[in-house]
Amino acid sequence: MGDLMALDLKTFVVGSVEGVFDTMLSMEASVSQADGFPGLSGERIVGTVSFAGQVMGNISLQIGIPFARRVAAAMLGMEDTEIESQEEVNDVIGELSNMIGGDLKSRLCDAGLPCQLSIPSITSGSDFKIESRGWVRSERFVCANQGQSAIVEIFIKPA
Amino acid sequence: MTLKVLSIDDSKTIRMIVKKAFKAFDCEVFEAENGLEGLTLAGKVLPDLIVLDITMPVMTGVEMLEKLKADPALRSIPVIMLTAESGKDNVLNIVKMGVQNYIVKPFKGEQLIERAQTVIKLETKVEEGPTEDASARYFSLEGNVQVLTLPAKIIRPVVVEVENLLKIKVEEMKKGGLNRCILNLTGVAETNVSLIKLIITILETCQRSSIHIRVVGTATLSTELKSFQETSEIPIRMTIEDAMGSF
Repeated sequence: MGDLMALDLKTFVVGSVEGVFDTMLSMEASVSQADGFPGLSGERIVGTVSFAGQVMGNISLQIGIPFARRVAAAMLGMEDTEIESQEEVNDVIGELSNMIGGDLKSRLCDAGLPCQLSIPSITSGSDFKIESRGWVRSERFVCANQGQSAIVEIFIKPA
Repeated sequence: MTLKVLSIDDSKTIRMIVKKAFKAFDCEVFEAENGLEGLTLAGKVLPDLIVLDITMPVMTGVEMLEKLKADPALRSIPVIMLTAESGKDNVLNIVKMGVQNYIVKPFKGEQLIERAQTVIKLETKVEEGPTEDASARYFSLEGNVQVLTLPAKIIRPVVVEVENLLKIKVEEMKKGGLNRCILNLTGVAETNVSLIKLIITILETCQRSSIHIRVVGTATLSTELKSFQETSEIPIRMTIEDAMGSF
C-alpha cells in the first residue's frame, strides 16, 4: 500500500496526456489538478480503460462533444465538418484513452507494480455521473486546449 | 511494384492513421479488425508487411503472431507490432517473439514509415497529374483573365485538388503571358477554416508568381471573411465585372 501512496500520479498522468495530445493531435494540452473545476455538462463521451495485476484501477477521459469532434478531426487529419459519424469520434476517444492508459500502465510496471490493461470502453450521453468507490487513491485532472476542457480521472487500489 | 501492407487493429482510428501514413507510397493497404481476420487475410493476400496491434478482441496480436510464425507460407512476412505499452517487460516480450520492430502508441505516421523502411523498400507513389476535366471544374478564361471559381463547400479533398491544379495553372499562365486572375467565391455556401486557408494559399501563390489577383464574393461572405484575422483586410468585389474593371 505504501508503494501506491508514494506514486507520483500527477507526473504520470500529466506526462501521458501531454505526450498523447502532442504526438497524435499536435495539440498543446495544459494539464492541471482539477481542484475547483465544476465538471462537464451536456452531451459528452467517456473513454475508460482498466488495469489489473499488482495494482488495480481505471483511468477515464471525459470530454464534451465539441472538443471531442475537434480532437477526432485532429487525430484523423480532417476538418471537423468532415467527420462522418459519432462512431468515428467515439473510436478516437477510445483510442486516446487506450494510449493514455497504456502509458500509465507502463509507468506503473516500471515502478514495480505490474498489471495488464483492458480494451477501452466508451460511454456517451448527457445525463450521467461517474462515480467509483472502494479505491485507495483517486486523482482528477483537467486537460485544456483553446478554451475547451476534458477531465482525466484515475482510481487505483492494491490487488 | 505495389507493396501490400496489412494493418490489423481493432481501432478504426489507428487503421486510418496507418493507411494515411502509407498513402504517399506505392502501397496497397489491407485492413483487419482482429487477429483472426488478420490471419485469414494474410493467407489470402500474402502481404509484404504486417502492422499488428497487440491488444485486440477475438484474437490478440500475440496469438496471431504465434500462428503466423507457425505457418511456413507466412512466417517470413515482416511484422511491426503496435503497442500502447512502453514498459521494459512488454518490450522484452516483443523482442522474444522475434518481431523485427515495434512502435509504441502514441506515434506519428512518419515514425511508422521510418520503421517500415528498415524492413521493406518503400517507393514514393508517382502522382498522376490532375485531368483536364478537373481543371475545367474550377478554371475558366474570361478574355485574358483566368477565373478560379471555388465550389459551395470547401473540404480537404477540394483544397488538395485546387492547390495542385493552381500550381499547374500558374505555370501555364506564365508561359502564356497571362498575369491576371479572379478568385470567384460567389458560389461558396459555407465559411470554414479550410476555405480561409485555401484563400490565403491562392493569394500567396499568385503573389509569388507576380500574378495580379482580385477576389469576388457575396456581401455575406465578405462580412464573414472580415471576422477572420487572416482575411479581414482582403478587398472583396461584388461582381466579376467589378473585378475586371479594377485591373
